[in-house]
Amino acid sequence: MKRFLCLVLVALLSFGQLTGCTSTDTLDEKDTSAEESALKSIYNGELERSVTLRVLENDTAIQQGYFNQLIDAFNEKYKEYGIVAVDANMDERSNLADDGPYGYGPDVLYQANDSIMKYVKGKHIYPIPAESLEYFSQIPDNAWDAYKSEVDGKSYYMGVPVNVQTSMLFYRKDMLPNDWETNWDDNKNKVPDMVENWNALYKYSKSIVESGTGKYGYMRSLFDVYFSSGFLFSYGGYIFGDHNTNPKEVGLSAGNAEVGANVLLKLASVMNEECIDDSITVNGYSKIADGTYFATMTTPDVYTLFIKELALEYEKQGKSKEEAKALAEENLVVAGLPMLPASGDLTEENPELIPQKAMGGINGYAISAYTKAPNASLAFVEFATSYEMIMKRQELLGSIPARSDAAKAVGGVSEIVFNNLNEGNIVVMPSVTEMVQVWSPTETFFADLAKDAFRTSDKKYTSTEKIKSGLKVVDQQILDAIHTLSN
Amino acid sequence: MKKNKFLHAADSVITHSTLIVVSLIFLFPCLWLILASFSKSGSIYTYEGFFPSEYSLDTFKTLFTDTAMYNYPQWFMNTLQIAVFSSLIGTFLVILTAYTMSRFQFKSRKKIMKGTLILGMFPSFMGMIAVYIIMTQFGLINNLWGVILIYSSSAPMGYLTQKGFFDTVPYSIDEAAKIDGATNFQIFQKIHLPLSQPMIVYTALTSFTFPWSDFILPKLLLKEKNLYTVAVGLMSLGETEFSRFAAGAVFIAVPIVILYFILIRYMISGMTAGAVKG
Repeated sequence: MKRFLCLVLVALLSFGQLTGCTSTDTLDEKDTSAEESALKSIYNGELERSVTLRVLENDTAIQQGYFNQLIDAFNEKYKEYGIVAVDANMDERSNLADDGPYGYGPDVLYQANDSIMKYVKGKHIYPIPAESLEYFSQIPDNAWDAYKSEVDGKSYYMGVPVNVQTSMLFYRKDMLPNDWETNWDDNKNKVPDMVENWNALYKYSKSIVESGTGKYGYMRSLFDVYFSSGFLFSYGGYIFGDHNTNPKEVGLSAGNAEVGANVLLKLASVMNEECIDDSITVNGYSKIADGTYFATMTTPDVYTLFIKELALEYEKQGKSKEEAKALAEENLVVAGLPMLPASGDLTEENPELIPQKAMGGINGYAISAYTKAPNASLAFVEFATSYEMIMKRQELLGSIPARSDAAKAVGGVSEIVFNNLNEGNIVVMPSVTEMVQVWSPTETFFADLAKDAFRTSDKKYTSTEKIKSGLKVVDQQILDAIHTLSN
Repeated sequence: MKKNKFLHAADSVITHSTLIVVSLIFLFPCLWLILASFSKSGSIYTYEGFFPSEYSLDTFKTLFTDTAMYNYPQWFMNTLQIAVFSSLIGTFLVILTAYTMSRFQFKSRKKIMKGTLILGMFPSFMGMIAVYIIMTQFGLINNLWGVILIYSSSAPMGYLTQKGFFDTVPYSIDEAAKIDGATNFQIFQKIHLPLSQPMIVYTALTSFTFPWSDFILPKLLLKEKNLYTVAVGLMSLGETEFSRFAAGAVFIAVPIVILYFILIRYMISGMTAGAVKG
């Protein structure tokens, strides 16, 4: 009897084990339906009535009055359902993981992709039925990918991209040479060469420095990874493997990244020693304003600070407040990043040019998993990301839309940046936690590289091979840090 | 004699020089912050060297008028409400606790004293997560009274200084009052309270200053911007708002300074003058 019972138990256990064996096709089918049913279980399509949606927006949108216009328009449209959107009245950097579980978080939040994707692991945000949104195809895959999350082999979109944040070139139009249209516009496109390609910008910077007036052309703190890493990316470098999702692989030295680092080294030679630390980041505003620097690279969110400083400078010269502001807005130009020479040689005449890649971020909307009104929240996200609202947002905030139709309609810098995003020239900051280990080793390398331009006898980076070795050391340092500190 | 004079002069010079250097070291950050609050451009990034290049009163004007994003007057009133009520309730509870521990003998008195002494050695932020969870259960998140409740209820833990003060008041006063027919409450109200005026003032001042400048608890319990205290609000300012930060930090010192000058005379007034008449 005992033996019989044992056999029955063995048979039952074996049968239980075998239930796990099935074909992959069946699995896939199961997963697709699971994905759909997961979304349907959240969004049943019926708008909740008489609910208040707490929306967390960014400070600039509130300050410039855009957010009020947005919620007023939304509340008007959905008043028959009694849905009211209000300001969550919280810090724009609030952590949903802290406040959400206790019921104090917002229903809808607008943050950068790396912030939003941090909530995925703890299931603090709901996936969004992105593919059913009418403008899904208007937003490039690179932007959607910033919000993509894999669960059980299926992809979910955890947010809706709204704006693109990336590096731009800021320069003083009134500091261009008088003859730029004849001598600095080879392709006769009415855009000065020095803001179109790095070779011309290097040449112009060199001529300013050699004039001995104490002025400089392009200036930037080179240790700053956010701005300098783009030079590595442009020649094949990357941060993490599998499109910045696999921290087991670090590739800052990959491809010909050393060529990009060499471009930085060359640029350092037409700056001063302030490019080694954050001096230029700190004094850039006043130095651009007083004409010591011709150009710098930064993000569009500090545009007003440059304008304020330049206007103060004009006021000092006797202009009225209004005149000074108008003149500042006319003379400070924000442009896309210049093209890089394919060879990496900044002194080459008529070089073949390649677009410069830059680190960037995608800001967007996400829906809290603690909301009691997911359908109304989704309606708000759809409304806020509609063409009309995105255009209004651009008009009031000067932000760069992630939607192709809006970017095209706006034109200018927005279109250039959008195209860069679409073509993969904006490398979206990885949303993995291991990213924290990237900054310090890379900063140290860039600072050392910049310092090399000012060393006399003991130069470290005398060849691209030596730069490559330096970058490989950085890769290893990051990997060591991830595996010893993050785990 | 000459040598003595020289040594005396040298001692005086060295002592005064050291004191001047030390005071400059302490004064410099305050001076820098005050100058930064008058910066015209508003951003720390525009300084030429260590100090602002141009000065104006605009930042102070902005601090109180531009309230759309950073409502400093509201933060100031919230801080004042929290500090005033925490001070009143906290002082009342501390004085009662200290008086009880000093004047009454009861079972487990020593054990309670030892217990509070040990508990007082742990930093208050150790229990912050527990406090947060408890306050969520009571629905006291985003409520200024929730913060006041925590400050006031934790105040009696620091009763030892006040108890030490009550211990110095002679028991003969209590005995004399009892012989005259006074109740315990009358002894406390009519004898000890007037005698302990400097200690009450000291307790009130410290109970006021801690909530006035604390950051951790309001940051934990107050999530909405219009409920922020000044410390939390100033921390939320953008990086381009440095002079507003400096102006806010300078202005927050004003009530403390006023309070100090008003109350200092009570603190140094005679403690037991006229208490026992022979």
